[in-house]
Amino acid sequence: MIRFVLMMMIGMVVNASEGMARQLVADLSSDEVSITTDFTGQNLLLFGAVSNVPATSDIDKSSDIIVILTGPTLPVASRMKERVSGIWINTQTVQWKNAPSFYHILSSRPLAQILSDETLQALQIGYKNLNLKSKNQTDEIENLDIWQDSLARNMTAQNLWQVDENAVSIIRNALFRAPVSLPANITPGDYEVRILDVRNGQLIAEDSREITVQKAGLGAFIYQLAHEYSVFYGIFAVAFAIAAGWVASVAFRRN
Amino acid sequence: MYIYLPIAEVSLHIAVIVGLGGGVGFLSGMFGVGGGFLMTPLLIFLGVPAPVAVATEANQIVASSVSGVLAHWRRGNVDFLMGFILLSGGVVGSSLGVLLFSILRDLGQIDLVIKLSYVVFLGIIGSLMLMESIRAIMRTRQPGAKRGKLHQHNWLHGLPFKVRFRKSKLYISALLPFFLAAFVGVLSAIMGVGGGFILVPAMIYLLGMPTYVVIGTSLFQIIFVTANITILQSVQTQTVDFVLAGLLLFGAVIGAQFGARVGVMLKGEQLRGLLALMVLGLSIKLGIDLVITPQDIFSTEFIR
Repeated sequence: MIRFVLMMMIGMVVNASEGMARQLVADLSSDEVSITTDFTGQNLLLFGAVSNVPATSDIDKSSDIIVILTGPTLPVASRMKERVSGIWINTQTVQWKNAPSFYHILSSRPLAQILSDETLQALQIGYKNLNLKSKNQTDEIENLDIWQDSLARNMTAQNLWQVDENAVSIIRNALFRAPVSLPANITPGDYEVRILDVRNGQLIAEDSREITVQKAGLGAFIYQLAHEYSVFYGIFAVAFAIAAGWVASVAFRRN
Repeated sequence: MYIYLPIAEVSLHIAVIVGLGGGVGFLSGMFGVGGGFLMTPLLIFLGVPAPVAVATEANQIVASSVSGVLAHWRRGNVDFLMGFILLSGGVVGSSLGVLLFSILRDLGQIDLVIKLSYVVFLGIIGSLMLMESIRAIMRTRQPGAKRGKLHQHNWLHGLPFKVRFRKSKLYISALLPFFLAAFVGVLSAIMGVGGGFILVPAMIYLLGMPTYVVIGTSLFQIIFVTANITILQSVQTQTVDFVLAGLLLFGAVIGAQFGARVGVMLKGEQLRGLLALMVLGLSIKLGIDLVITPQDIFSTEFIR
């Protein structure tokens, strides 16, 4: 696979040397991820060529690449504990309407140096700019900032959200690559990958890809059984346990 | 080798799961307890979501109770009439418990209630067992001491629907074992335990059953209660992880063999004293966790 990627890259360099105008092109080493029984997470490689647009400003600025990976939106609840008569108890809950289950940002330089705050906000890049809303929109949440920060902190602790401002390497201002790491606790679904090419603080090109994450193999079968034939699954689990207990008892007696 | 558990949706090392089963199996073989009260908190500690840990442990207890009850049945130590009344109460109680569990989960209070139940019930049982075994050890050192009455008669024995339990040599109200089992059934569903550690002392001290039929009879009823929980949780919340249960079981079967061999080398009072210390220790540890300031007062969870 690595050899294939290298050949692709060499091909693109050859293409670049021809001096033709070129679009931002990006691809992934794989766009399908199977959660099988031995799944411990997966590392992918995102690679491509930056767009070849003549510099407009006086100073020939080099490209910056920002990659945004967004996973499926799931119902997520944040809870806050308070001490009630000595014991820490969840006292407040915020249910998020549009929190992504996965949100990784990779860039070639610190985001603040690449784009202005306004542009980051307009492009919805960064935890602060996700526009997170609670489910019960009618009553405005107090201290929304604190709740948003806590969500980001908890998701980051589980490796589900991440900002890595050094992850994208740009080679000779023509090619780029970035390691994409999907942890073992990811949610199956469609993952959107946005690749932005920024020069001189301005978005000059954009590309997107999709990664499909799905359960596969025996695990997928068991999961499906548990959800679609749950009565049968429950009875089967009990029958298996009774049989296993009986076998164990026979083994015990022999000893 | 890591294995991705299909329902728990976490990846754990296979040796950790089998080792956990083996370790808890060893202790349960040594002390003659089910071990659910150790396994469930340890699974949660390993990162298995609490609802999955509780429901999966119920599934595993079915197997360990079946293998246990067969041994007692062969020796004729199961009071089936008592077992039947206990299991009808247990099934009612555990069904209520499963319902309560899903309500508490939606409210975001299930972790708290699980931990509080552990602190309270393990604390009470652990203290009682410790006092009892200290007293027993003292008594063996004073051989002249008088043996107490078999059991005390109180108002509980005056309740209606009296039934004669031949095997247990008892003539008591059927309501007593029914409500006792119903209460333990609720706890079983919430705590992910068989409930033997509450049921066994209650059957001895509250019902006044002779010790030799207590273990077999309680195991008999635990099979039905945990089977009920497994099926209800499968249907209602889909949180029974069959793969996790199977691996734990494999370890537990082997561990229990070694545990039983070590167990016969120790004296009964000493065993009970050790078990009491372990139960108390777990209760205190969980109690401290509830009281100390958490690292982050905010937590986030996916709602299924």
